This record gives sequence, C-alpha cells and structure tokens, in this order.
Amino acid sequence: MDAISLPDADAVIARARLGDPVALEALYRAYATPVYNLSRRICRTTEDAEDILQETFFEVCRSIRNYRGDGSIWGWIRSVASSKALMRLRRNKYRDTDELNDDFAPTRAATPGLRMDLESALARLSETARAVVWLHDVEGYTHEEIAGQMGKTVSFSKSQLARAHTRLRSWLGEESLA
Amino acid sequence: MITHLSMEQLVALRDGDRSEPGHAEAHRHFAGCSRCQVELDRLHQRTARLRALPTLVPAGNEFPAVRQRIAVERRQRNWRTAATVGIAAAATLVFAIIGRDIVHPTRLDAEQQLQSAMSTSQQLEHQLHAWNSDQRVVDGRTAMVVIQLENQIADLDAQLVAAATLQRTARIEHELKLWRQRVGLMNALVDVHLTNASSVGL
Repeated sequence: MDAISLPDADAVIARARLGDPVALEALYRAYATPVYNLSRRICRTTEDAEDILQETFFEVCRSIRNYRGDGSIWGWIRSVASSKALMRLRRNKYRDTDELNDDFAPTRAATPGLRMDLESALARLSETARAVVWLHDVEGYTHEEIAGQMGKTVSFSKSQLARAHTRLRSWLGEESLA
Repeated sequence: MITHLSMEQLVALRDGDRSEPGHAEAHRHFAGCSRCQVELDRLHQRTARLRALPTLVPAGNEFPAVRQRIAVERRQRNWRTAATVGIAAAATLVFAIIGRDIVHPTRLDAEQQLQSAMSTSQQLEHQLHAWNSDQRVVDGRTAMVVIQLENQIADLDAQLVAAATLQRTARIEHELKLWRQRVGLMNALVDVHLTNASSVGL
C-alpha cells in the first residue's frame, strides 16, 4: 500500500492547498479505499470505518495547508487515518474479545475443518492487538511510531504483536503442525 | 530441556531487531533448531498472508458529507469573523463618543448627552446579544469577570429605577452619570468577550 498513484500529484496537492474542491475530491478518490481498508482492519464495524473515512478527509481538507511535502502524501493521509482510528478505539473502549475467547479458540482450531481462516482470526483479536498487527506487519509502522500514536511504550507494542501472533498461530491451527 | 524461541524472539528475528536482550543467544539457538526455523517460516508466511488479504472498499461515497461539513465550518467561521468585526466597530464607536464627550463636554446639553449614552448602551447590548455571548464557552477567569461586570450593570439598573423619583434637573444629571457608567461597563463587557474570542482564535 506504499505506492498509490495520484496522476499529476504535485499539481493536485498544490490546488488542494488553496482549497480547490475539485482537487480535494481528487485526493479523496485516490485515497478513500486505502484509508477505509486501514480503518476497517483496525476497527470492528463498517460504521466506525466509514466515520473514520469521513473524519480523516475532513481533517485532510482542513489541514492540507500544513502538509509540507516532507514525505509522501499517502504517508501523511495514512498517519491522519491511523490516528483517527486509534482515537476511535480509545473512545469506544471495546472489550478485549480475544481474552474472552481464549478458552475455546484452541479447541476449535485443533479440530480439522474448524480451523479459522485468517480474516476470522484477525477479527477475533482484541482491538489493540489487531491495530498493532495491522500497523506493524501490513502498513510498515515501527514499534516506536505505534507506541507514539497509542500513547504506550515500545515494549507494549512489541508484546502486543507477539501475543497477537501466538493467538493467530493457535487459531489458524498452525500449532498442531509443529 | 530445550527452550525454543518465544514468539517475541521470533518476531525480533524476522524484523532484524537487535535491541532485544539475548539476541545473540537466540541467533545461535535458531541456527541449530529446525523447529524454530519452521516457526519463523510460518511467521513469514502468516505476515505475507496478512498483506495479501483483500482490500476492503467503502460502500458509499463519503465526500459529499465531508464537503458539507467543510461548508458548515466555513460559514461558522465567516459568521464569527463578521461578529468580531461588528463588535470591534461598536467598541470603536463607543470609544469615539465617550472620547468626544470627554474632549468636548459642553457640545451637547445634558439631555442630549443622556440620549446619546442610552443609545450607545443599547447598541452595545444589541451587539452582545447578536454575539450570543450567553451561549459561548469561556474560561473560568473570564466567566468571573463577566459575572462581576454584569452584577455592576444590574446595580446601576437598580439605581436608574430609583433615580426616576428625583426632580427633573437633578434626575437628568444623576441619570447621565449612571448611564455613562453603564456605557463604560458595557464597553468593558464587550472587550472581555472580544478578548476571549481572540484568545481562542475565533
């Protein structure tokens, strides 16, 4: 998801910085899907992901003047989106469902034919663990960046990632293959 | 008893993270342990599968809602700017009138001065009402100043009611004094609201 092409990006960004609605919409059209994907992978519901999509582009439209072009425009928009998504997690205070499901998940995973697919296993992780897995392993954020965005320590991010992989391995039935 | 690598150590190996304690020892173990090598391979595969998950696409276009929010915010900002300019203009007018009265006290007779002060006070009150000051969030300190000023204005209003019983000449002089004080307090109240608006960037 690193190289998202926006035709004539520099000109579009320059016009967007002046508040040109056509340019702002062009940014939305170019990046709405990756922003939604990121939000949906981190948050539990489509409603949350749609809200984050809207929040993110509202913020992008308001703050595009502050974008100095130091990094890629996608990198900047993605940081806005991940920040909004993590803020949403904190606000919703979701329950850590993987803690609740630990007891039966390994049994289920160990039974042939009842192994979870990766989508279901990912969805079963706690909000925090899933956010760390997605941001680190898929989006390529460092533990330092994740810790900064979450207001936690680097160790917290590392341990969340390791715990998440331990659970995914178990739920995907990979333990029995060892 | 063989101790295999923990998931945290495997992830550190995958990411080339050398900051983990026992990194060298973990490397040595890994080089000779086929089970940990399989685990690392699985970790790589799992990560690759995560990255290969299908991209989720939004069902609808959220941009019209974004555009509407921007338009609403822009209208509110313009309104605030207009209100700020209006209050500033009223404050300037008051300053000009009071200043003129101070510099040229004999230009108007007492009754005209009284009318002028009453009119100015009403204009300021109208501006404050238009600014909708009661509905605005102010900090605690500002709120205290506002309350004090409003209390003093209420005291003056009570004195103005009482002044109605005085004889005409004495009444006009007394009322003029009270209305000038009232204009001063109203002016201060406008200043407090204006300063608060500036400090929060409206």
